[in-house]
Amino acid sequence: MTDKIIETFGLSKIYYLKGKDKHVNALDDVNISIKKGEIFGLLGPNGAGKTTLIQILTTLLRPTSGYAIIDGYHLLKNTKKVKSKVALMLESDMLYYRLTAYDNLKFFCKLYKVSNYQQKINDMVKLLGIENWLKEYVEKLSSGMKMKLALARTLLLERDILFLDEPTLGMDVKTVNLFIDMIKNVENTIIFTSHDLSVVEKLCDRIAFINEGKILKIGTQEEIKNLSGSEIKVEISLACKKQELLSELHSHDFIIDITEQQKNGFLVHLKEKAYYKDLLSILSNYEIMKIKEVEPALEDLFLRMY
Amino acid sequence: MKTRTIKIKKIFKHHLSQIFTIAEKNVKIQLRFKFNLYSSIIFPFLPVIMSTIVLMRFFSEGVTFGQWKDTNYLVFLFTAFNIELLRTIIQKFPIEMRLEKYWKTLPALMIAPFNKMHLLLGIFLSHLIIIAIPFAVFFLLACLISPISPITIIFIIFIFLLIVLIFSGIGFFLGVFAISEENYWRIFTIGLQLLFYVSCIAYPFELFPAEIQPIIRLNPFYHIFEILRVTWLENNILLTITNHPFQFIILIGTAIIVPLISIYFFKIIYDKFGIVGY
Repeated sequence: MTDKIIETFGLSKIYYLKGKDKHVNALDDVNISIKKGEIFGLLGPNGAGKTTLIQILTTLLRPTSGYAIIDGYHLLKNTKKVKSKVALMLESDMLYYRLTAYDNLKFFCKLYKVSNYQQKINDMVKLLGIENWLKEYVEKLSSGMKMKLALARTLLLERDILFLDEPTLGMDVKTVNLFIDMIKNVENTIIFTSHDLSVVEKLCDRIAFINEGKILKIGTQEEIKNLSGSEIKVEISLACKKQELLSELHSHDFIIDITEQQKNGFLVHLKEKAYYKDLLSILSNYEIMKIKEVEPALEDLFLRMY
Repeated sequence: MKTRTIKIKKIFKHHLSQIFTIAEKNVKIQLRFKFNLYSSIIFPFLPVIMSTIVLMRFFSEGVTFGQWKDTNYLVFLFTAFNIELLRTIIQKFPIEMRLEKYWKTLPALMIAPFNKMHLLLGIFLSHLIIIAIPFAVFFLLACLISPISPITIIFIIFIFLLIVLIFSGIGFFLGVFAISEENYWRIFTIGLQLLFYVSCIAYPFELFPAEIQPIIRLNPFYHIFEILRVTWLENNILLTITNHPFQFIILIGTAIIVPLISIYFFKIIYDKFGIVGY
């Protein structure tokens, strides 16, 4: 018995564009496996192939070649069974704007045969803090509110695998935190894309970097962060003016770059941890208020990768 | 045997529930703007008034046109208006499906655990609810003018249901074209319009020149609408069936084949082209 809930085998998708022989490889030989209960992050720039992958895995698009096994069912041969396993939240909220919030939730619950849905809807909207908006038409709701409603719908459908494409789009910080707490507490397998890397960092067990339809890197957060090698970043705050020190630091080639922060603070990016001593010896000539080694962030890696 | 019956009941209940869920959603969307709904109820009555005044004067002169005469022209007229009302369902499908496309709700429907027949019948049912009032008024008026037996009434309703099923099938086919090939789908509507022109919905067959009449006879819609009117006027189901078996075969055959073909095409087109815009 395997604990893998999703396995893809050479998934490819080609979009043919207008004009002679023009095409785009939206997905190019994608092979990934996702474990049951895992929160899996898909990261990549716009047009990398994240949404195409999600659409294929949720049966919305047919791959040009390759296949996938979703919870033991062949994506192309057992489409109905696959559908019974997945729920989807796209960045477009997929809500009926001419229905009330409640009618939207009720419609999807009935369509997906959710038992005792009234109680479940009430509990879910209370949890998301949208209970006062239930009788309003969706067209009147703010974008953040619509995303909360879309999230409520996705979670209410009681599917084993949730595909969340940019779910935090338009949400305020408080709601994003609420979203993180909720997702952390569900037992479903979640495939998740977001441009908000702090959310990915807080949520995902494993991450895949994707670009031009290809998976570039895949691993746990730790494994991904280790890809930055022995490079480190050091946050420094000076008691005095920083210009003189900045000029001196720029003259050393073991420093990759320097990002200026608040008034007398800056972030120094070193080629290797071994140069930390050299940095300290330079700093010994200045009055330092604070010096701190900074963990490599996913954002740094993302920027370097693309 | 008992378990089998329970299983069949369960499956039947499941299908009905899915169809009603879609119909309920569509009706609620229609009810969002009340005046749209009122106008859709009132509007069908407007052309009837003018046509009735004109034809009333025309037939008062003792003129006959094929089967149309002063004693039955109103039955022909009200039946024709009911067919026209049902025909609006053909346009309903492309409208609904394009709305779903632009609201981007289509993916949510497409991955839901229901089949295309539920979608077809859900839209079908919601449209029947919306047009129920003018349809019932025309039907009752025709019944008052030319009374028929209860069995014939039931049979006529059954024929109307088959007609609307045929129209739904055509509408579903157009609907999927409307979302996958937005540039070309109207070509089909032009073809369909031509087909309806030579189907004698609201005018007698004899009105057409003798050269065109053989073409009309090739049109299945002509036979379908004709059998509806004949059933009414003869008011004897057995007689009508034995006298016009060919028309009945066309009616039932089309009602089975058209929805199945449309669902088949829906699947092919959806798989081949995907839905543009995502």
